[in-house]
Amino acid sequence: MDQFYGKVAEILEVNEVRDGDVLKDFEAWDSLTILSIIAMADSDYKVTLSAKDLDNIKTVGDLKTYFENHEK
Amino acid sequence: MSGRLYNPMSLDNCSFLVTGAASGIGRATAIMLSRLGAKLICADIDKAGLEETLAVLEGTGHLSQVFDLRNIADIDKWVIDACASFGRLHGLVHAAGVSCIAPVKILSIEKYREVFLINTESALALAKVFPRPKVYAGSNGSIVFISSAMALVGSSAAVGYSLSKAAIHGMTRSMAIEYAKKNIRVNAVAPGFVKTSMFDKSKARWDEEQAARVEALHPLGFGQPEDVAHAIAFLLADTGRWITGTILVVDGGYTAQ
Repeated sequence: MDQFYGKVAEILEVNEVRDGDVLKDFEAWDSLTILSIIAMADSDYKVTLSAKDLDNIKTVGDLKTYFENHEK
Repeated sequence: MSGRLYNPMSLDNCSFLVTGAASGIGRATAIMLSRLGAKLICADIDKAGLEETLAVLEGTGHLSQVFDLRNIADIDKWVIDACASFGRLHGLVHAAGVSCIAPVKILSIEKYREVFLINTESALALAKVFPRPKVYAGSNGSIVFISSAMALVGSSAAVGYSLSKAAIHGMTRSMAIEYAKKNIRVNAVAPGFVKTSMFDKSKARWDEEQAARVEALHPLGFGQPEDVAHAIAFLLADTGRWITGTILVVDGGYTAQ
């Protein structure tokens, strides 16, 4: 989970992210970014995440918690 | 008039190597070829899946081989050793492959190289050892690669996969020319979205709207593994005698639009 914030920042095309940042407020938030998050979840954390799951994840912190709770 | 049914796709007395035979298109192909009378070496990294495939093949004399195609340098020896006990081959079907759903911004070098290794480089390694006298039966040889409709049309998040499959097309055409004098035909089948475990993994990432949109792009709906297996059998059998260097698109109309 060390590199989580860096990876998410890269996907969201910003320099840094914080727990309270709302995912949908990022300019880069689109279908490709959603796919990138899903792909990262699978390849880097072995977490299965669907687009529907992401609908219920509001902030960067929520995403981190989801990964921590579902990491295999 | 003879009462015997004429089957131009009969594969009696023919032997083939099928990779990716533990599931999906590879399994359906192995089953189809066995029904047509062929004897098979079924290969995959998935031992349990291979056992399930072997259990439903028709005929006898089939061989199961667990092998990791990422061990590129060992493919040569593996195929030669397998043929030493099994007998020589009339053809090979490379159905093993992995998907890669990743937008370019997260497509790492490691990821696309791994996809290329399994989807493309191992295809070349298998085709390279195939004409060897210890492997090839010497007549009516036929190699079939599995490419993809994603090698013909674009789609977001498909770069890693598309590049591995587009390379198959170039390889197919040039290899067909080079191998013609050995009486080995080389072709590829380019499927659209086929209901396999690879498809299920992609579909799990779509929302309902995306799934409906993708299905609507297929005028004949999503395909079944058997749809692709039929095309492969057609190319391997005498029905494909005069076909080489071709990419046979089997996609329910996806790329016709």
